[in-house]
Amino acid sequence: MNGSRNLLVSVLMLMPLSGLISAAETEREPYDDRYCTTCHGIDGIGNEGVQAPRLAGMEDWYLRRQLENFRAGLRGRHPQDIEGLAMQPMAAKLTDASIDELVEWVGSWEYKPAEHTISGDVNAGRRLYASCAACHGADGEGNEALGAPQLAGQNDWYLLTQLKNFKARFRGNEQGDTYGQQMMTMAQSLPNEQAMRNVVAYINTLSGN
Amino acid sequence: MSKPVTRREFLNLLGAAGGTAAALRAGTALGLLPGAVKAANLDLLNLGSNQRRVAVLGGGISGLTVAYELQKMGYECTILESSHRCGGRVFTVRNGDLIDEIGNRQYCEFDNDPHMYFNAGAARIPSTHRNLLHYCKELGVELEVFINENKTCYVQDDAMLGGKPVRNIEYTTHLKGFMGELLAKALTEQELDQPFSESEAETLLSIIDSFGDLNESHLYTGSFRAGYAEGGFLKHGTQKDIIAFRDLLKTRLGRGLINANEGDTGPILMQPVGGMDKIIDGYLNHVGSNVRYRAMVAGVQVNDDGVQIAYDQDGVRHSLDVDYCFNCIPSHLMTGIPNNFPEQYIRALKYIRRGEAYKAAFQAKRRFWEDEDIYGGITWMNNPSRQIWYPTAGIHKEKGVILGAYDYGGGMYHTLMTQEERIEAHLADGEKVHPEYRNLVEKPITVAWHRMNHMLGCSARWSRNFGAGWTHEEEELYHTLQAPVNGRHYMIGDQVSMHSAWQESAVMSAQWAMADMDQRVRAELA
Ligand SMILES: Cc1cc2nc3c(=O)[nH]c(=O)nc-3n(C[C@H](O)[C@H](O)[C@H](O)COP(=O)(O)OP(=O)(O)OC[C@H]3O[C@@H](n4cnc5c(N)ncnc54)[C@H](O)[C@@H]3O)c2cc1C
Ligand code: HEC
Ligand code: HEC
Repeated sequence: MNGSRNLLVSVLMLMPLSGLISAAETEREPYDDRYCTTCHGIDGIGNEGVQAPRLAGMEDWYLRRQLENFRAGLRGRHPQDIEGLAMQPMAAKLTDASIDELVEWVGSWEYKPAEHTISGDVNAGRRLYASCAACHGADGEGNEALGAPQLAGQNDWYLLTQLKNFKARFRGNEQGDTYGQQMMTMAQSLPNEQAMRNVVAYINTLSGN
Repeated sequence: MSKPVTRREFLNLLGAAGGTAAALRAGTALGLLPGAVKAANLDLLNLGSNQRRVAVLGGGISGLTVAYELQKMGYECTILESSHRCGGRVFTVRNGDLIDEIGNRQYCEFDNDPHMYFNAGAARIPSTHRNLLHYCKELGVELEVFINENKTCYVQDDAMLGGKPVRNIEYTTHLKGFMGELLAKALTEQELDQPFSESEAETLLSIIDSFGDLNESHLYTGSFRAGYAEGGFLKHGTQKDIIAFRDLLKTRLGRGLINANEGDTGPILMQPVGGMDKIIDGYLNHVGSNVRYRAMVAGVQVNDDGVQIAYDQDGVRHSLDVDYCFNCIPSHLMTGIPNNFPEQYIRALKYIRRGEAYKAAFQAKRRFWEDEDIYGGITWMNNPSRQIWYPTAGIHKEKGVILGAYDYGGGMYHTLMTQEERIEAHLADGEKVHPEYRNLVEKPITVAWHRMNHMLGCSARWSRNFGAGWTHEEEELYHTLQAPVNGRHYMIGDQVSMHSAWQESAVMSAQWAMADMDQRVRAELA
């Protein structure tokens, strides 16, 4: 039943008993915090099946901030933020050291723009995006100084969820989430889901650089 | 009043009330004997001196079935399993085991004794699951009867009798008594009596009397079936008080109680002695050395003449070239693994919704339920923990492992809680049935399948609208996913069945896929 544990046990039998670690502890299955690919897909390509977005190619500063925000409960705690609730308990257990290590690991994945799944009125989307470009950049490349992440190349279904969640105040409504609050205010300018789809369809046309 | 109904009209009426299915069943039962469906007789070609390589993606029971069968036929099989263990949703938790819930890792602290285990996933094997039972037999897995319905267990609902737990036997005896009385009344009225001959009506009435334990006037006045208030052995027994019909109707738990022995749980249920994963061990006795653990599949490329697999192990990306590939990775995880599947196949993978399932268990410091005449079985509660299962294993031993909650789908209620909140919820629910519960149980574990690493769900949901059945589109997507890609890559597991959440379905999907491949290999070698 149990692969590596049996192996550990047999290795143990060959070693003289050390008084330092109890047998019970050494027999236990070891683990690390590298759970990300179960949800976010291999090499962080994003996985629609669990609604977890692309991480490969994400800006270090933005990745770190989101992990910290999730950990602090500034994101992913609203009872109706279904997807955020899936991510939050993962982050809640992270230490500063493991966040450092994860940012480095995620950084080793090669960026590939996500495939498009959402269509909409691109022209209408272009007009709406005019107010977004100030922060997210004309090509959706993001702006570190303003704390606004790259949008181009991200999974479009994920962008749509975020716009809905910002608009409904499931994300960005916590005290202390300064960046989230800014975006939550901006999302109020999108009147309805169709507008969100249109702007996402337009973001799909951006190069990100 | 209305004119008497004919027999055909009566059947139609049944149909109108119970849906067409009821009418159909009423019809076929008259003419057809139930057919015996044999366990699939796999007739695979032995490769002899020929060679074929097979990759099994995921060490779930369906994958292990493939490896076990094909190895016998001379195939070279490699099983890639991303977790530290095989078995997937066949998961027996014992002392020291890791419960790898994302964000809530736990180690099981139960006493280290053979009967101190918990089947956190699959737990029951109906006697009609012939294919699974065939493997149990062939692999030498010792089985015992699983006690499922047990009428000495309790029914508890805050809304009924001030929340006082009632024995199942009392509840169901009275419920059937009152229902029987209603049925008898209906039958003795002219209109309903009409379609039956005198002797049919008499027979039916006598069955109704027996169903409800009614008196000569077809009235329910209580029954010894509910147990004795006192006496019964050396002295005459005295009858227990009746619970008023109105009180019984304060809870809807009756719905579950009345069909506890129907459908999938109708046949005799069994379990392997010592834990469900004895089946997994049985397979691993034959194919264990072919398993690569902590080997996460990272890519699947199907070519004209084979399949190229990428997988990550020990931080290194490996590749494996095979002739055939059998894949039981859950569909919602497969969508995050690079592949070159056809568009419609990917659509099918994405279409399936993942179900939720949640179980929790405690070690009991002593087997307090046995003091209350309970040996195995299920207590039903109208609270989120829903059920308490008393163990079939370890009767009269000192301690035991009891299931403290089983939410078999339809919500994330406990999943969204912290470990501490979950445990407190189960203690609070359980002490409504067993007042000393909190002091009698310890060492809790919780298993939220929606968050289990490498699984993230239980029970593939194909149909969007459970009541209405499968749509045409759903049927098509299902058949798309069942068919191989290029005759090389097969999705398997209970997700590729119309009856998910049973090992039998997982095993049968594997057999279906192997039989299909076998035809292709025969053609190649001919
Ligand atoms: C709570 C619960 C109760 C149940 N009760 C019963 C019952 O009473 N009776 C019954 O017969 N059945 C029951 N079932 C259903 C039964 O457990 C399943 O039908 C059966 O185990 C499914 O087997 P599978 O072969 O489809 O694969 P799964 O068990 O789904 O296994 C999939 C495997 O793939 C592995 N994997 C995932 N990702 C990767 C990757 N990238 N690379 C490599 N490997 C990967 C996983 O680690 C896992 O081992 C229950 C299930 C649950 C959860
Ligand atoms: C249980 C599944 C799961 C696991 C494991 C998981 N995530 Fe997530 N993660 C999600 C989901 C779902 C979302 C989307 C949340 C939303 O829609 O708001 C998400 C969102 C994120 C985000 C926000 C992305 C953005 O653009 O703002 C980051 C960053 C992230 N995850 C990083 C990680 C890292 C790093 C790991 C590994 C330590 C990890 N996740 C593990 C499910 C998971
Ligand atoms: C005032 C600056 C500003 C403007 C204007 C703005 N945003 Fe944002 N946006 C942000 C910031 C900052 C964040 C990051 C929030 C955080 O860190 O949680 C963000 C986040 C997002 C996200 C979530 C990204 C992710 O990976 O989770 C989306 C989607 C988004 N913005 C879309 C838009 C759209 C569409 C518009 C125009 C309608 C817009 N933004 C306008 C500042 C802005």
